[in-house]
Amino acid sequence: MINLPSIIFYTFSVLAIGMAIVVVTSRNVFHSAMALTGTLGVVAGFFALLGADFLAASQVLIYVGGIMIIMLFVVMLSQQPFDALQRQTNTQWLYGILFAAAVAASLIRSFRDVYRGVAAVATDTVPTSAPIGRLLLGDMLVPFEAVSLVLLAALVGAVVFGQDRKAAK
Amino acid sequence: MGEIGPLLSQLFHTGRDWAAGHGVPPLGAQILMMAVQVGIIILSISLVPMVLVYAERKVAGFMQGRLGPMEVGPFGILQTLADGIKLIFKEDVIPRGADRWVHIVAPIVACAPAFVCFAPVPFGKGMTLVDLDTSVLFIFAVSGISVIGILMGGWGSGNKFSMLGGLRGAAQAVSYEIPRVLSVVPLLMFYGTQSLRGIAVAQQARWLGVLPKWFIFYPVIGQISFVIFLICSVAETNRTPFDIAEAESELVAGFHTEFGGIKFALFFLAEYAYVFLASAMAVALFFGGGDGVILPGGLIPSWIWFLGKTFMIVFMFLWFRWTFPRMRVDQLMSFCWKFLLPWSFVNIALTGAWILWRAHS
Repeated sequence: MINLPSIIFYTFSVLAIGMAIVVVTSRNVFHSAMALTGTLGVVAGFFALLGADFLAASQVLIYVGGIMIIMLFVVMLSQQPFDALQRQTNTQWLYGILFAAAVAASLIRSFRDVYRGVAAVATDTVPTSAPIGRLLLGDMLVPFEAVSLVLLAALVGAVVFGQDRKAAK
Repeated sequence: MGEIGPLLSQLFHTGRDWAAGHGVPPLGAQILMMAVQVGIIILSISLVPMVLVYAERKVAGFMQGRLGPMEVGPFGILQTLADGIKLIFKEDVIPRGADRWVHIVAPIVACAPAFVCFAPVPFGKGMTLVDLDTSVLFIFAVSGISVIGILMGGWGSGNKFSMLGGLRGAAQAVSYEIPRVLSVVPLLMFYGTQSLRGIAVAQQARWLGVLPKWFIFYPVIGQISFVIFLICSVAETNRTPFDIAEAESELVAGFHTEFGGIKFALFFLAEYAYVFLASAMAVALFFGGGDGVILPGGLIPSWIWFLGKTFMIVFMFLWFRWTFPRMRVDQLMSFCWKFLLPWSFVNIALTGAWILWRAHS
């Protein structure tokens, strides 16, 4: 069972989980954001291992190159010197742990039987972008456009809520 | 004649077979040969900035009516080598207020993706290291990681000016990334592939047997695409007239104020590697890759054509730097969002109309 793809898979898994732990335990918000960047990058690595080349590139482009940069921006603009002295937990930590455990249990339960015996690494590397394009603009056109509408509404909403009320008048 | 692509691939095949014949497992031999190829790419890409820095100084000298470096070696060609040695042996200073680890990792994060981006570049016939199906998307995605290096450099230095420079640089890079990607969309629509090699090969035809069918020669859509791509590439590499991230007169030296020695050299390496990458991409996308003109085919090998055309575009980058004044921050943003972005949408619509017309005639 020890072959190159599984070695890569387990290395990625350890990296992803390790960095995800750093995200929640680090006292420095900037370090948390950096670790989250790494985690999202490793997720792209998982996609690549599964042969989803388009998804892997999009993951890096959108999460690492887009969302994380905006997040780092927010961290840099809002960082205060006393932030590092704040407590890591609040009064609801117990309920948080319980909720996380419940979600994990249900995920494991629902996926355990479906993916038993399915390899974690793709054996064929057929390009995926052309089929994804056909699917998005063919069978999945209505859901795809609905999602874009939701995103557009979110964008307009962010601008409306974000603008300075006094400056607008 | 002089094509080294097939020769190289034959060499790698022989090497793999030789290693496999001497007790190395087949997978190990494969990985070994990949490592050799990756090593060749990394070494040559590390050499490119040295050439470009020298070229930059000479072009600057030419533009300003002076000689440029002349003392080290004939015509000063060893000047960058001397500078490189100086930078390597410089003391590595980490300011007391800096975030130590972020300060150390920042140049690496800025520099490493630049090398990865060269994997799918078609340097000539049979000289594409990895012919990815999604190579255009891959390059855009991976080069975006460098922006995080700039942000880390700005934040990790513990310096106001660095922080402002990092923020400006990242805002600019993220904004200009959008029209840059959209300027390439017409090509993907037109040729129906995302592979850089596929796009370059598709352009190796002639109109009336004379004019090459490069994308830049397609009326209107080719030129709009190229101009937007070029402007955004200059902005992405943080070069004048878009160098607000390191504007000396406002921000000391921007995000790399606190970096010295080899760390500073890595930031510099990344910048010049990206200049070279943007030029190589422009050649593969708009100028037919290794396609030759005028001279009969095969007289000059495709990789020389490719490098020649690439250095022509690199010269344009250097030329811009010594010609245009720096833009103000707000002008820069409104230029991107209110001019480049709408026009790239218009260009996509025009290309769609063209493709419809082509399908119906």
